Amino acid sequence: MQCYALRAAVYMGEQHCPYWEEFDGNDYTATHLILYVDGEPAASMRLRWFASFAKFERAVVLKRYRSLGLFLPFVEWAKDMALKKGYTKAYLHSQRRLWGIMERAGFHKVDDRIFHFSDHEYGALVCDLTAPDCQVPTVFTDPMILNRPEDRLDMPGILEQSMERGASNPHAGWNNDRRAN
Amino acid sequence: MTILAQSIDGEAVTTKLAMRMEDSLQAFAVRAACFMGEMDVPFSEEFDGHDFGATHVIAYVGEEPVGTVRVRWFQSFAKPERLAVIQRFRGHNIGQVLLERCRKLAETRGCNMLYVQVLPGDLSYWEKMGWRRLVSEETSSGAKQIVAMVKAVDPSKPLPDVEAPEVVVLRPEPQLDSSGRPLSSASN
Repeated sequence: MQCYALRAAVYMGEQHCPYWEEFDGNDYTATHLILYVDGEPAASMRLRWFASFAKFERAVVLKRYRSLGLFLPFVEWAKDMALKKGYTKAYLHSQRRLWGIMERAGFHKVDDRIFHFSDHEYGALVCDLTAPDCQVPTVFTDPMILNRPEDRLDMPGILEQSMERGASNPHAGWNNDRRAN
Repeated sequence: MTILAQSIDGEAVTTKLAMRMEDSLQAFAVRAACFMGEMDVPFSEEFDGHDFGATHVIAYVGEEPVGTVRVRWFQSFAKPERLAVIQRFRGHNIGQVLLERCRKLAETRGCNMLYVQVLPGDLSYWEKMGWRRLVSEETSSGAKQIVAMVKAVDPSKPLPDVEAPEVVVLRPEPQLDSSGRPLSSASN
């Protein structure tokens, strides 16, 4: 809800993007990051996870917070999160006027192609993420680490606390009574 | 009486009440675009806690959600709030279409008074649509940032002589008797 409001404010309010293009159906398959300033939602970004790269999308800083230099640290946060999930590449489409700031964020053009959608010219940019100092998750990682909240893979999550309760299988009786298999 | 828009560039203008979560999100997106994007209202003031106790009306041009208003229901009046139309769709009386839908809705509920709080700069817009000030100009204090206005649901029936308290209705529903956000930050 908060990241929707930020994106509607910037893309629909400032950039006149139509509703159905802004909310394109990919919101429920993505990870959303929100940055707060004094408790107010100030910036948001959507991350989608492909096999070989993380795609950063819909990055906005609300107009009233734009002079605070939040964008670059925000991108660093997103890069850090991608790294912790084991990604070594971040990829994004950037409006032409923002290529400069994306280069300062460590991205470079993939090639010379320029394409356009939703009334803006875009280029594809990519950033190689340097090897993390943390353990990258694999299928052999402790399963309970993989169960942790997405942005806190390095901290115990609530499901680890639930292990104290043991495996009492409270639904077992229900299953046996009602299911043939 | 202004003729209300039926279509814009061949696309039908329609209104509906938000009935599902997705509908509400469309209303919220339109408001975020107008109030947060254009008018720089902070998130926590725009989404003030009244949204789940209100009725949301959404206007569409074709499939595109372009305008919205929410109505809060009080015992003696209905209060349309947060009227917003996306910038490039303004000038087609979509605001009026939304308010007419509010009026009809109030009528079906047996409500006979609509009450709004408007910015002084928007007074003439509302006066043109037949709204009148609740308190005459002389008696309201000069520093006031918002103006209370009322309109009869049924134009043939005069308004009863009731006054809604100006300040109280801005407050969050469970705390109507305690102080809410300062008047100076009220956007509508």
